[in-house]
Amino acid sequence: MDYKYIEQLLERYWECQTTLEEEAILRTFFRQEDVPASLLPYRALFIEEDEMAAEHLGKDFREKMLRLVGEDAPAQVCKARRVTFMRRLRPFYRAAGLVAILLTIGNAAHQSFTDEETPPQTAETIAPDSIQQILMGTPEQQSAELTAQPIDSIGSLTR
Amino acid sequence: MENISFRTTVLPLSDKLYRLALRITMNRAEAEDVVQDTLLKVWEHRQEWEQIDNLEAFAIATCRNRALDLLKRAGRRTENLDETAHFSSHTPQEQLEAREEVSLVRKLMEGLPEVQRTIMLLRDIEGKTYQEIAQTLDISETQVKVYLHRARTKIKEWITNT
Repeated sequence: MDYKYIEQLLERYWECQTTLEEEAILRTFFRQEDVPASLLPYRALFIEEDEMAAEHLGKDFREKMLRLVGEDAPAQVCKARRVTFMRRLRPFYRAAGLVAILLTIGNAAHQSFTDEETPPQTAETIAPDSIQQILMGTPEQQSAELTAQPIDSIGSLTR
Repeated sequence: MENISFRTTVLPLSDKLYRLALRITMNRAEAEDVVQDTLLKVWEHRQEWEQIDNLEAFAIATCRNRALDLLKRAGRRTENLDETAHFSSHTPQEQLEAREEVSLVRKLMEGLPEVQRTIMLLRDIEGKTYQEIAQTLDISETQVKVYLHRARTKIKEWITNT
């Protein structure tokens, strides 16, 4: 098997000319069991780095840190929801609607109470003067009749 | 804006910080103490999290300083990490030889100057770019490459000469 590519990568690795991706290829290569004898001496470096990468703290440490900073209570999950301006005003609409309903009911109740106290309106109660005028005539007509009557009487006397 | 919290942003850095502290102190208990101090320090700065450009870089830099302070206070000392078998399919003799090689590489790592050791860790284990390492350690990218090149050259020479 040709390991020229790996050898070239390794040379570039020593010269700090490899990318992170190329270094990952080298690491993967040296993890395998069948490493050629010519490259075997370098394996220990990558294995040592793999072992260091596996080092980690226990779960107890995280819990201890959360206690130390007072954040040991389970995290509360809050779901964010976008609220439009019109949606924000919805409680006011409801309150306004409720007030309107109460006013309507109040007016209606008030109206019904006042209707019981006063007699039903008839034509006479609404406009008694007008009916009087229709029946008796207007004041001008009445005075005209009064003034016309004596003339007729005088005429009849002279006749 | 990104929502930063201790639980979801800072605490997940623990293992990364631990490896760095471990690489510097070479002692698990001390490394854990360093990480704890570091996280508490980051927590104390919680009012400034929104203003810090890169919280991870801030935490790594704090961790490194704490580990170096610890070494300075205690006098420079390093201890070998407990070693675990990694060569399962080889013969016991090969495993032993390979184990010895890994141990020797680790000893060589311990012998590197701290900045070279830290840069190797950030590059080879944490997969950081040169730019990220430069930002974290507050040095130029060129300096990062120079330090890394020196470290790798030493290791290569050691491996080829043994």
